[in-house]
Amino acid sequence: MIDKIFLWIIAQFNPVMERAGINTAQLGEILRVKLLIDDRRPRGIVAHKQNDKPKKTSNAWGTILVTLMFGSFYGIILFVFHRPMLAQTIYFSAFMVLMSLMLITDFTNVLIDVRDQYIIAPRPVNDRTVAVARILHISVYVLKLALVQGLPGIIMIGFIDGVAAVPLFFIQIVLATLLSIFIVNMVYLLLMRSVSAQKFKDIISYFQIAFSIFMFGGYRLLPKMIDMNTLSTYDLLNHKWAYFLPPVWIAAINEAVIHAGRSGLAGTGVAALGFLLPFVSIWFVIKVLAPGFNRTLSAIAMSDASVVGPENKKVKKRGLIDRIANFVASDPIENAGFRITWKLASRTREFKIKVYPQFAFIPVYFAYFMLSGNGGVGEQFTKIQHGRSYIFLLYFSSIILSAILQQISQSEKYKASWVYYALPIDKPGKILAGMFKAITILYILPFFILLTVTCVVIWGPQVINDVVLAFFLLQLYGIVMALFLVKGLPFSRPVLVKQAGGKVIITLLLMVVTFLFGWGHYILAQWETVIWICIIPAVLLYWVMMRYYAKQTWESIELSEID
Amino acid sequence: MSTDPIIQIRSLSKSYGAKTVLKHLTLDIYPGQVIGYIGPNGAGKSTTVKILTGLIPDFEGQVVINGLNMADNPQEIKKLIGYVPENAEIYEVLTPMEYLDFIGKLNNMEQDVITERSQKLLGAFGLSTNLNDRMDTFSKGMKQKVMLISGIIHNPQIIVLDEPLSGLDANAVITVKELIVRLSQEGKTIFYCSHMMDVVEKVSDRILLINKGEIVADGTFESLKQNHSDTLEQIFAKLTGRDTSSHETDAIMNAFD
Repeated sequence: MIDKIFLWIIAQFNPVMERAGINTAQLGEILRVKLLIDDRRPRGIVAHKQNDKPKKTSNAWGTILVTLMFGSFYGIILFVFHRPMLAQTIYFSAFMVLMSLMLITDFTNVLIDVRDQYIIAPRPVNDRTVAVARILHISVYVLKLALVQGLPGIIMIGFIDGVAAVPLFFIQIVLATLLSIFIVNMVYLLLMRSVSAQKFKDIISYFQIAFSIFMFGGYRLLPKMIDMNTLSTYDLLNHKWAYFLPPVWIAAINEAVIHAGRSGLAGTGVAALGFLLPFVSIWFVIKVLAPGFNRTLSAIAMSDASVVGPENKKVKKRGLIDRIANFVASDPIENAGFRITWKLASRTREFKIKVYPQFAFIPVYFAYFMLSGNGGVGEQFTKIQHGRSYIFLLYFSSIILSAILQQISQSEKYKASWVYYALPIDKPGKILAGMFKAITILYILPFFILLTVTCVVIWGPQVINDVVLAFFLLQLYGIVMALFLVKGLPFSRPVLVKQAGGKVIITLLLMVVTFLFGWGHYILAQWETVIWICIIPAVLLYWVMMRYYAKQTWESIELSEID
Repeated sequence: MSTDPIIQIRSLSKSYGAKTVLKHLTLDIYPGQVIGYIGPNGAGKSTTVKILTGLIPDFEGQVVINGLNMADNPQEIKKLIGYVPENAEIYEVLTPMEYLDFIGKLNNMEQDVITERSQKLLGAFGLSTNLNDRMDTFSKGMKQKVMLISGIIHNPQIIVLDEPLSGLDANAVITVKELIVRLSQEGKTIFYCSHMMDVVEKVSDRILLINKGEIVADGTFESLKQNHSDTLEQIFAKLTGRDTSSHETDAIMNAFD
């Protein structure tokens, strides 16, 4: 339904596009089919192919509901700040950042659909049509989400600025979305022109990682750093840099139309900029960046097939990994589990994107606590130095472990895991044990070493016993979690967005356990020797649990269907 | 056979960086010919196909199809060609009817013609009961049939088939083989790429063998036989430099010792 409206709106521009050398009949057809494919693509549940049609729709409604709630949540910003333009600027900053984030994560998937190379490219369709179809496709896709997210804001603005502001806000949202699309789009196209295909993919994934860290950090730390008192007398347009911020342009539109009286010449100028720029950028993309677009894209799409080259450089390192693998996992099957996990985890891009940001969350959390008390940062620091808060820092790392464990059995290329089922493996627990050890050595151990160094620098060497105890307790936590929640072999299951219902309870229980571990540790930490003594049962328990974990049989593993 | 070649390739070269894939390829292909295009992996087969179908726009030399130059008129040329690529990439969430409708429209066909033709073609390939099922439930062979249909739906002059039989069952293989003969009788030119020597031997009336970016054999199966050996497999082995003695199998068997 909504798609038809979008297609109709786009069709209104047909004469203009025709003149730009675009075949509008083909354009409409590509768009229609692409949107249809989006609609049918199961968003969360990939595993069950048939008979889940009702589920799919309810899932879509769930997404809409969450998006709406999120939109209302930051829509409240509109009410909070009373200085002209400030509220809307902050709102649209949040809005555009979110949209860009979404775009960056989805853009590669939508833009680089490898199948297009075989389905659309051989047909008589010109470069421009394909490029514009792609941009419009992503625009419609994002606008749908944007409108749902902006809906609460649209309603709220009615209460603040009256009914006249409602349709205007709608236009502002569309403009803000378009602007985000073109900013991201231009960055992409420019990147694609200047770097090789393989590098491009890497850059994008680092972008994604950096961005999610930035989002998280900003969300946690910004409210702590902003002083509400100075904001109430803040005049945005007194600052030169404000003129360069796209959200300011969008916010200025409201100012220029609704509060025409107080909006000065500068404000109106900026508003005009906000109104015109999306159109200028679409022109720029079509005229300047689109030609040759397909060629670069196909190079990227095809580059996947031939990535043999650069991987071979690491020959030297292999010796060390080999020795570690043989040392910690001497059983051949366990050794295989260790190596496959190590290699796939360190080479799979999708896995890294999901896991790496977790590491950055720990320092952000810590900074959050540093800033959460009263007084300056220096004062806080000495206070922390005399306390034992490092223990919480240690136990916070459980979120890294649980994030990895939740991702480790999933993969987009899960079908390759048929080998596990075809080979004579008597106890899959051995593979899991290898997997667990690989995760520990690849991710947890280096992280803990880094933590130890940091803690020793801040608190002194007496923290070492705490780090050791925490390490083993977290290992125990990890094994228990793996026992209950990780039912698949490494990289053997289709990617799921949500966890099954029953598992949420176990997750919560495990969080309580970690909390108790941490709390108990915190209380015992006043006696140094007690901690040293506690390490002994912890290590023993770890050893026993590891043995048990490695004995899991096929019955305890949920097989995924492979066709 | 008419005297004007439908495909003229003149001194076609293509390289990726320092690696040369095609070396001054020159070829004339006439309407109604069934070309069996064979060669070992990495010989330049799929590069040739991708240049012929307009997927690789930058190359050296000249490709003229039906009097149109590839460098100037790729879109016009694409209209003349039906291409069935090797790896069966398809929008699986669509039904065959929807997919063919999409492909038909990209080829600027009329809605009614597409619908009618799709139904007939799908029926002929034994998919009449699956017209409106999504293809994600299809077997590999069924998808391959849809791929084949999507390559011929606009009734192209030139049909480029890259391993078109993969995944098809024995009956469908017979159908496709017969189809190739019938299409060539209608004057269509068929460019058939495959590793399956026995099929190439039977369907093609001209065989091109490419090795290391160069055509090393060109002629009918009969004429190739006179110069070399009895089966296409043997000719292939000889010309692509595989030893007649069983060194390779020896090496494999020795690995177990």
